[in-house]
Amino acid sequence: MKIMVVDDEGIVLDSCRRVLEADGFQVLLVTSADKALAAIQDQEPALLLVDIKMPERDGMYLMREVKEKWPDIPIIVMSGYHTAETVKEAVKMGATTFIAKPFTPDELLETLRQVIQKKESPGN
Amino acid sequence: MFYSTRSKLIASFLGVSFLVGAVSLLIGGQLLYKAVLSEATKRVRLDLNAAREIYLARINSVKVSLNITTLGFGFRSALRKYDDLELVTRLRRMAQHAELDFAGIVTGEDETLCRIGPNPVPNERHQTANPIANLAFEQGIPISGTVVLSNEFLSAESPELANQAKIQLLPSPKAAPRAEKEEPSGMALAAAIPVFEGDDLLGILYGGILLNRSQKIVDKVRDAVFQQEVYKGRSIGTATIFFNDLRISTNVSTLDGKRAIGTRVSKEVKDHVLEKGVTWTERAFVVNDWYITAYEPIEDIFGKRVGMLYVGILEAQYIDIVKKVLTVFVLITVAGMALAIGLGYILADKIMSPVHRLIKASQQVSEGNLSPEVGPLSKDEIGVLQNTFKDMIVSLQERDRRSRAESEDRLLQSEKQASIGRLAAGVAHEINNPLTGVLTFTHMLLRRKDIGDDIRSDLQTIAKATERVRRIVKGLLDFSRQTKLDREPTEINRLVRSTISLMENQALLKGVGIEFNPGKNLPMLTLDRSQFQSALLNLIINALDATETGGNVIVSTGITLSASDAGQKVVEIAIADTGCGIPPEDLDKLFDPFFSTKGIGQGTGLGLAVSFGIVQRHGGTIWVQSEVGSGSTFTIRLPLEGQRE
Ligand SMILES: Nc1ncnc2c1ncn2[C@@H]1O[C@H](COP(=O)(O)OP(=O)(O)OP(=O)(O)O)[C@@H](O)[C@H]1O
Ligand SMILES: [Mg+2]
Repeated sequence: MKIMVVDDEGIVLDSCRRVLEADGFQVLLVTSADKALAAIQDQEPALLLVDIKMPERDGMYLMREVKEKWPDIPIIVMSGYHTAETVKEAVKMGATTFIAKPFTPDELLETLRQVIQKKESPGN
Repeated sequence: MFYSTRSKLIASFLGVSFLVGAVSLLIGGQLLYKAVLSEATKRVRLDLNAAREIYLARINSVKVSLNITTLGFGFRSALRKYDDLELVTRLRRMAQHAELDFAGIVTGEDETLCRIGPNPVPNERHQTANPIANLAFEQGIPISGTVVLSNEFLSAESPELANQAKIQLLPSPKAAPRAEKEEPSGMALAAAIPVFEGDDLLGILYGGILLNRSQKIVDKVRDAVFQQEVYKGRSIGTATIFFNDLRISTNVSTLDGKRAIGTRVSKEVKDHVLEKGVTWTERAFVVNDWYITAYEPIEDIFGKRVGMLYVGILEAQYIDIVKKVLTVFVLITVAGMALAIGLGYILADKIMSPVHRLIKASQQVSEGNLSPEVGPLSKDEIGVLQNTFKDMIVSLQERDRRSRAESEDRLLQSEKQASIGRLAAGVAHEINNPLTGVLTFTHMLLRRKDIGDDIRSDLQTIAKATERVRRIVKGLLDFSRQTKLDREPTEINRLVRSTISLMENQALLKGVGIEFNPGKNLPMLTLDRSQFQSALLNLIINALDATETGGNVIVSTGITLSASDAGQKVVEIAIADTGCGIPPEDLDKLFDPFFSTKGIGQGTGLGLAVSFGIVQRHGGTIWVQSEVGSGSTFTIRLPLEGQRE
């Protein structure tokens, strides 16, 4: 399964790759929203892990674009600083779920699993 | 309001002075009029006496001059000889001296020897009846007094005299009717002296003054008694001699300014004075004006009432006095009223000016000026009012100061929190990314089976410490999040009860009793339930943390009056514990972020800071009362109406 991680912070990207690859996922790392859009076209990832706050185009923009072009790809939103409103807005944009930074490997995998489960049994 | 008080005061002053003035005017005027009238009457009586004296003195003077003449030797010898030429010369001289109108000598009844006048020695001795000489002859003694003389007698004496005596009767509406048009007879003052030689009667000397049209006596009365007092061009006093009811000698004037000779007295006066013979003193209308008058009868030598003597004082001058006095009364009243207005004005000013100043001061207070000028203290009831007002101002100032201090505190606290919040947000955001790395790689390392126990233990320490950092950062984030309130109508008792139930197990475990006293009739409040619940939860957890086994935590709700906003009601939620209490020096720092007395890793010191922010954003306040050793009470107050964001 191919998972694309979008974040402007290298350490987050590294962490995610380390955890996900260890669990057998194929991981694509992208450092900006624009790069992500271009990469989705080629790579067709099954799931997106997106940071909200990024320089230039942010995660919200990316989500909007993705939801328009590839409405089937589930999106997990990450944030190091969130409020109830940002979470609400992200869900409205089409985020499947939300995970707060920092997280442990277990927390990340658990969230991922739930989303995949949901995707595989739509309608529940 | 101010002016109406003044006008009321003035009106009552005016009323009183007007009443007093009017009453004194009425009663005083009446009394005065009576007094003046009686004074005038008294005076006119005295004047009448004086007039009588003058009248009698004139009679006496006639008598005396005749008497002196009879005593003269030449006269006697001439009389003895019936030397009529000599006698006439002497008589004329006497008459001239004594101002007699007629004089003569009779030798027997109706027998005239000689007389002054145009026909001094009548050819015929027998002449018209001479009543006074006859009386003297009859009685053989001197006679003097008033006598009525027939026109024939007067004609005989002198046709001129007879003419003078004739008086046309003028129309007098009030007088008793009289048939004749003219009074031919005369009234005279006369005397008759018998002249004796031994026992023989030589003759009788007679003489007198005709009163008809004579002005001497009445003018003398006027001049002597009234001393030519003049009122508005008219002599105030008048005198009259009446023959019967007819004015024959007077200085009363008719309308055209002539002497009122020929007019007659009213029937009423005539009835009293002539018929009944009494002195009459009365206010009377004489010819053309009101007079205070006095009349008395004149008796002739036979004791018959033949005329009247009259004096009168013009009433107008007395009326004028009364009028003048009344005018003064009116002026005094008017002056009193003016004074009342002035006094009322000044008094109202004096009374009202402190009140006015108070009104101004309270206006200033209502405009927000809490140190208004009340002015100098009055010593009366208004002073009490002023003092009360001042006390009120002081307590207002005190309250103002307190609420200002409170809001300053709150402002300071929220500023502190806001800046800490901004800092925290930045820090959290920067820290969370590397922290993700630390957590990830530590846990990935821990997953490895090929590491020694010592390394595993080290890694676990790192993981634990990182976990703690994560918790702190999370707390910081919670604290800094100025999340918008998501308000909905909330039953406060229900919210409190559900929050307590979350903690019941934990309390049970610790052996601390937890109790709820819900207040009655609490209104619904619009709250962000989840935020408000987390604030309550923080307070309850703190209370449980502070309380040892066996202690109690009591949560109660109620409605009470606001301390800062007068008349505002607030809902109060109190969380009281019987725990360790808070030392006074900690009370200030209690709501600061990161202030905690709990052990490292136990408390972040953000609970109260976050709770404070939540309550504040609900427009409420939170404060604490505590005593070391006996417990603490945290109280939240929420406004009912116009809940602020
Ligand atoms: N009911 C109480 N009785 C005694 N002390 C209290 C009580 N409530 C709070 N405190 C004191 O105030 C300090 C600050 O409380 P606060 O809730 O802000 O932080 P904390 O409880 O220490 O940590 P946190 O709530 O973040 O876990 C506490 O450490 C404690 O010393
Ligand atoms: Mg606490």
